[in-house]
Amino acid sequence: MKFDVLIIGGGLAGMTAATKLQSEGLRCAVVAEGLSLHNVSRREFCAAGGTLLAGDKVVSGRFSGDRLISVRTEKLGDVDLEADNYILATGKYFSGGLAADMDRLYEPLFGLDVEYDEDRSKWFDASFSAPQKFLEFGVKVQDGRALKDGVQIVNLYPAGEILAGISSAQGDARESVINSAIEAAAAIGRK
Amino acid sequence: MQENSISANNFEQCQKCSLCETVCPVMANNPKYPGPKRSGPDGERYRLKNGIFFEDALKYCLNCKRCEVACPSGVRIADLIQQARIDFGRKAPKLRDMMLASTDQMGPIAGAFAPIVNFSLGLAPVKGLMDITIGVDRHRTLPKYSSETFVHWYRKNAEASQAAYKKQISYYHGCYANYNYPQLGKDFVAVMNAFGIGVQLLENERCCGVAKIANGMIAAATKDAKTNVEAFRKSVRQGRDIVTVSTTCTMTLLEEYPELLKVDNADVKDHISLVEQFLYKGIASGELKPVWKEGFRARAAYHCPCHQERLGWGIFTIELLRMIPGMELIELESNCCGIAGTYGFKKENYKVSQAIGKPLFDSIAAVAPDYVACECETCKWQIEMSAGVPVKNPVSILAEALDLEKTAELNR
Amino acid sequence: MPANNEFDVIIIGGGITGAGTARDCAMRGLKVLLVERRDIATGASGRNHGLLHSGARYAVKDSESAEECIKENKILRRIAAHCVEDTGGLFITLPEDADSGYGFDYQAKFLEACNNAGIEARAISPREAIQMEPSVNPRLIGAVVVPDGSVDPFRLTCANVTDAVLHGAKVLLYTEFVDFIKEADTIVGVKLLDTRTGQTSEYRAPVTVNAAGIWGHGIAAKAGVQVGMYPAKGALLVFGHRVNNVVINRCRKSADGDILVPGDSVTIIGTTSTKVPFEECDNMEVTPDEVRLLLREGCALCPALAHTRILRAYAGVRPLVASDDDPTGRSISRGIVCLDHETRDGVKGFVTITGGKLMTYRLMAEQATDLVCRKLGVNKACSTAQTPLPGSMDGRIENVSKCFEGKPSAGQKGAAGRQGDLVTRIRFDSDADRQLVCECENVTLAEIKYAVRELGVSNLEDLRRRTRVGMGTCQGTLCIRKAAKALAEALGKPELAEKLAADYLNERWKGMRAVGWGDTLREMEFMQRVYKFEKPYSYDEV
Repeated sequence: MKFDVLIIGGGLAGMTAATKLQSEGLRCAVVAEGLSLHNVSRREFCAAGGTLLAGDKVVSGRFSGDRLISVRTEKLGDVDLEADNYILATGKYFSGGLAADMDRLYEPLFGLDVEYDEDRSKWFDASFSAPQKFLEFGVKVQDGRALKDGVQIVNLYPAGEILAGISSAQGDARESVINSAIEAAAAIGRK
Repeated sequence: MQENSISANNFEQCQKCSLCETVCPVMANNPKYPGPKRSGPDGERYRLKNGIFFEDALKYCLNCKRCEVACPSGVRIADLIQQARIDFGRKAPKLRDMMLASTDQMGPIAGAFAPIVNFSLGLAPVKGLMDITIGVDRHRTLPKYSSETFVHWYRKNAEASQAAYKKQISYYHGCYANYNYPQLGKDFVAVMNAFGIGVQLLENERCCGVAKIANGMIAAATKDAKTNVEAFRKSVRQGRDIVTVSTTCTMTLLEEYPELLKVDNADVKDHISLVEQFLYKGIASGELKPVWKEGFRARAAYHCPCHQERLGWGIFTIELLRMIPGMELIELESNCCGIAGTYGFKKENYKVSQAIGKPLFDSIAAVAPDYVACECETCKWQIEMSAGVPVKNPVSILAEALDLEKTAELNR
Repeated sequence: MPANNEFDVIIIGGGITGAGTARDCAMRGLKVLLVERRDIATGASGRNHGLLHSGARYAVKDSESAEECIKENKILRRIAAHCVEDTGGLFITLPEDADSGYGFDYQAKFLEACNNAGIEARAISPREAIQMEPSVNPRLIGAVVVPDGSVDPFRLTCANVTDAVLHGAKVLLYTEFVDFIKEADTIVGVKLLDTRTGQTSEYRAPVTVNAAGIWGHGIAAKAGVQVGMYPAKGALLVFGHRVNNVVINRCRKSADGDILVPGDSVTIIGTTSTKVPFEECDNMEVTPDEVRLLLREGCALCPALAHTRILRAYAGVRPLVASDDDPTGRSISRGIVCLDHETRDGVKGFVTITGGKLMTYRLMAEQATDLVCRKLGVNKACSTAQTPLPGSMDGRIENVSKCFEGKPSAGQKGAAGRQGDLVTRIRFDSDADRQLVCECENVTLAEIKYAVRELGVSNLEDLRRRTRVGMGTCQGTLCIRKAAKALAEALGKPELAEKLAADYLNERWKGMRAVGWGDTLREMEFMQRVYKFEKPYSYDEV
């Protein structure tokens, strides 16, 4: 299946970007699962003709050089979803956009480069209500694009809480999330 | 160490976000049901300590699997609940439950006396009697049986000509097409043949067992499952993939067999596909070339059955039906129809069943389509009875919308 | 001084030792005052494994301790039925144990020592061991079955305190010992400070018992006596569910991280032993090295731990008591240490009871009470070994659950498992009371109200010790807000709700910080979202 833009993650960032791009005439698909489906309206996106793969999750991607070529989802098995551009809006820890094991923090879907403090003792503040460092971490970006092993992936745009410095648990992040999504959508729209 | 967390059905990954509770159709309508979170991952932690924590109320779970679709942590909530029912639930099913679940046994008997059976099952006093004695709700419209099974028709009318086609598949027809509505099977053969694909039957097809699992007949379900998987293996060895028509059968064959019945199907899983998935992929790749009837017009509303939500393949059905010129397809908001197989036939569940389906019936009324497109046969019974709108399986829609002759010419 | 400030005995310390002593003294007719600076079981009593030793661990090296243990083990099963789980225990031998000199020869020695000490032990094949406990390391080459069990230390301490109160004892929680009242060389009373109100008070008694664990060191100093104690920190991890149903140990010399204990809905691995300074005792953090060590050793007992969610880490401090016989103070006494300071140090009216284990608390209490009674000239025999604790008339949850009309709900079953036969005192009257507050652990509003009414609860941590609120996988994310509100209302101080929640959140947060990865990290982010914002998501009630 081929699209102009594939948006991975249907939360506030994902749907904002998707709705904007679909209404600008680009053929968009959103792969959305879990929590995101229930707190963001998808009516506008669907009414504009967007394709929503609800309850599904992107599980792998095929890269070539500095481009993401196609992705596959959990439920569609070996069907390749191809798009000219991709937006990665998979959130932070809860939604699985970022993950950690005992030794490191990482981006579990594509293995993108992540910005974080390797000293674990700095991650948490002893006081629950104080700001927490671990909520500041996120994927590295260059010109709005994601990096993988130092290489800028020219058609992959992270948006929303997966970015460093944006967390809905640290303050009212609605504006930052929406702005990052609009920026990512605009960058694609300009191409 | 600690790179990932592994627990039975991922119950330990539950974050208690309670999202499953917001999508559970039963919880919204039946206060006796503790809900997916408490019946599934919460309950599991305490059942591990002592089986006394198993609650009989888990029987109210429809196994619609919407909780699993919604869960952001990948917990197989419905499987946890079904597994708990298998491990701790009532050991001996009621007579009514056995009758409702034993389609391979009841089907031939009812079919043999179809005219009488169909007539009497439509009579109010008979239904009243069944309500009082075995507990099948009197309000429920019971499915009609066909005098001639699909298999019988196939062997008489279609089998001989199948070998001539260049490609062959095996058709898992399921109980509905066989005992209640052979027209669906006939439509399937017609569509497949038009695309140049020959349809063979499996050597030994048994009911997929979903109703047996729901009604505690695990040994019988497992036996049938093993028979089916062996038949699949044989078919694959003979070079034929398996195509199914019912979403619930498909979900059961693919997921419930290994998860709940512990019947290994890893070697055949990738060779089983739902007909809409099969046809979409074939058409999208250019391998199958459809020719549509001139002047075909229809306004249909697509209802995605719960188990299709779980499979995630509704997209194939939607994309396939959208290919038909003249088809105006409206996607209904995803809601459970409430019947959940044998669940909605049971007297104790009837009211809840109807309450669950009400939002769907209302939205169908609002759209007022020519018919509802839906891959599931029990949804069909429920919607036809409760919304008064005809329901067509996408295969039957294709049989109508394709110019079968011209398609056959192009795909020879 | 008014008569209600005069007692026969004052006991300092509301851990299991103090609670047990209060019970024994009260049962023998003494007028008892129990004083505790925080809540019951907040010291080592509340920060251990929850292991009901069979004594097998000491059989080879210390047969006296082993004999003591198994006797108490049997007694506790009788008198504390609702606090104890008969899990059974395994001592496994791994190939590397055989290589390092702890092979079948050692197993034979171990078996003999156990049976000599009165501990029923028998060797079984690896296949039988795996059948008994499917999660045990399949590489095991040998196993011995022993009568280990698990015990809930909070429940046990609470039951002892409840019994003491039933026999007329007065209990002051959140009341700190400040100093002794001395007359010449005799301790005649104590000066106390209510930490909640700031009020001071004085109480008098002919005998004061120092049962304050590691803090007893400082208390003894205030009395002018020297009791050599060394704080030894022990770290433990709590896993998300009951990975095992049988206690698993290593059949070799005791080492770190070699006991895996199932308790209620979780499994606990422990422990370590590191000397720490006294100042650290009130605020210990589990280090990353300790976590790794425990995981590594735990996986040898049960490989599944490598992929099991860790809910939290915690540490307790054991009071290692220096053996009196050794003037250098370096030799550690293994057994129960009961010191009559009159004969030892010339200070009258003062007794210290320390050392020992959670397991042998009843014996410790018996020894301390015998001493107290001797000093008071009271001639009553100890009956704590024969008399069941409140709630323990019939411990089995299946039987207790029968007391409910109709089918018991999950919350009622949960309460039955925790409170034993005292569950009949919980009022499940209204629909609201039957609602679950803590869904992970099946705790109803009714049980919370009961705890406030009868078990002396001031804050959520106290509540947690008595009802398990917040001890499940979400570590309070879902229930802290509700529980704080319910508790504040039950205490008659609804304005307290926010502070109660904030304090408990910090406490839960501490345990999660040390294991902040995987699903626990996700839970931590979720918890932050839920408590920092009124409506983190679009659905109304969290």
